[in-house]
Amino acid sequence: MSGMNVLLQKEFREAWRSRKFLWIPLVFALLGMSEPLTNYYMMDILEAVGNMPEGFEMLMPELVPADLLLATISQFQLIGLLVLMASFVGAISKERSNGTATLLYVRPISFGSFFISKFIVISAVGFVSIVAGFAASVYYTVVLYGTFEVGTLLASIGTYFIWVLFVLALTLMMSAAFKTTVAATAAFIIIFIGQIIDGLVGTFWTISPWKLPLYGVQLIRGTMEMSDYWWSLVMTVVLICVCMSIGVFSMKKNASSTKI
Amino acid sequence: MTTLLQVTGLTKRFAEKTVVDAIDFVLEEHTSTALIGPNGAGKTTTLSMLTGLLRPSFGSVNMVGGDLRANIGFLPQYPQFQPWLSALEFTEMAAKLSGVSAKKAKQEAQKTLEFVGLGNDLHKKIATFSGGMKQRLGISQAIVHKPKLLLLDEPVSALDPVGRREVLDLLKGLQQQTTILYSTHILNDAEEMTDQLLFLSDGKLVEQGTLREVRQRYDEPNYVVEFSTVEEAQYFVSQSTFKCTVNGCYVSVAIQEDKPSMQQLLESLTAYPYLVRNVARQTASLEEIFMKVAKRV
Repeated sequence: MSGMNVLLQKEFREAWRSRKFLWIPLVFALLGMSEPLTNYYMMDILEAVGNMPEGFEMLMPELVPADLLLATISQFQLIGLLVLMASFVGAISKERSNGTATLLYVRPISFGSFFISKFIVISAVGFVSIVAGFAASVYYTVVLYGTFEVGTLLASIGTYFIWVLFVLALTLMMSAAFKTTVAATAAFIIIFIGQIIDGLVGTFWTISPWKLPLYGVQLIRGTMEMSDYWWSLVMTVVLICVCMSIGVFSMKKNASSTKI
Repeated sequence: MTTLLQVTGLTKRFAEKTVVDAIDFVLEEHTSTALIGPNGAGKTTTLSMLTGLLRPSFGSVNMVGGDLRANIGFLPQYPQFQPWLSALEFTEMAAKLSGVSAKKAKQEAQKTLEFVGLGNDLHKKIATFSGGMKQRLGISQAIVHKPKLLLLDEPVSALDPVGRREVLDLLKGLQQQTTILYSTHILNDAEEMTDQLLFLSDGKLVEQGTLREVRQRYDEPNYVVEFSTVEEAQYFVSQSTFKCTVNGCYVSVAIQEDKPSMQQLLESLTAYPYLVRNVARQTASLEEIFMKVAKRV
């Protein structure tokens, strides 16, 4: 893994100078605070908008903190992941197509180092983002609804982070294997179609990476079937390793398609 | 002289098309070699294979006494940089990735940038650089780790005359320190700094040797006679028994290069009623050789 430090420094500089460390966490923080706030003030919002028929009564469900966390996560699942994936799907393919990869690939550095340095920095952005998102959501939930148990909350955030790692590993693998547009399409399809399939048959298909976001919340509720949880977690970690291996392999294979 | 690089049967085939066809050559240490040929001859493909970016279909590239990837510096025709880095940051990164120790890398990067004339732009972002500055930066990233072999793809083709002159002088300064292989289709440049020529045409190596050797092989003795006026020149041509081509006041005369023919030419000139301004032996320029080689193939 020679040159790893240098490559890490380069990737961090890039993420820092392109403000990715700032605006992606900001998106997550906004998403995170929107759920508890809009739910809490829903009645006021409806009244302010007006047009309610005379004598209209609406029953708002009684929400517990875990419900708001689940609602927040479903926001992350669509918009948050879209932002993360779109930001990083060109990480490798764009370097190839604009030719900046040429001056790097001719150096005596292994493709493993190139790939892993990118994965580490992208994961760091992902980590900061979901921590910002959860922090914003948890803050307003605690102020408006009630408290969480710290242990299970952290476990829930950790579980969601593993899921995000899987999404990012898949995105980076696609970027290594295909051109940017194809990579984006393939990664979006796998992640979002997976979510739809999980929504349709999820009750029967209990062990998959797509289950992890829900399982994280169930840890807080205390209704988690732990064997399903562990198997899903193991499966996700294995898939992350598989994505990384394929990623390194295809990066090496596609090195010759670099624009010279 | 010791051999640095040995290329044997190097071939690259894309689907049906053979872009580089079984070429062999040897690079000696501390020599400059020009890879010349028309566009599409396979120059860039050959260089890409030498850098390891492109895997050859057949054949081998061997560096004597060392790993190839660790000992080359490469400048592509249109080098692309991360625009958000400064010149110093980029060169330092290049040095470290090529194995220069972290301690020395910054110092070496600074020295190299000063050498290529970017001493005042160390901390400027590459995004603000002009084409000529980028080319210099490209050279600095290629030489910062003192590679044994410098591979340059069309190093001066994209530059204006001033930039070309400067970069050529830079490269001449490097000739003593390292082995250089560069491709070009601008023959004047090749004529200026080269020990060995490799002619590539349609992927085949059609001619190689030193400039002098190649020149001798294709040289046809030729004398240029200068007259004062066009009419005089035309008059000479009409009287002459030699094979002449006229170009304004100049007449070029193709003759056998031996005593009797020379005598015959000089006698015909003295018998001529007007004064001759100048007679000179002409050496074939690389361009003429190039055209002959290309035509022969």
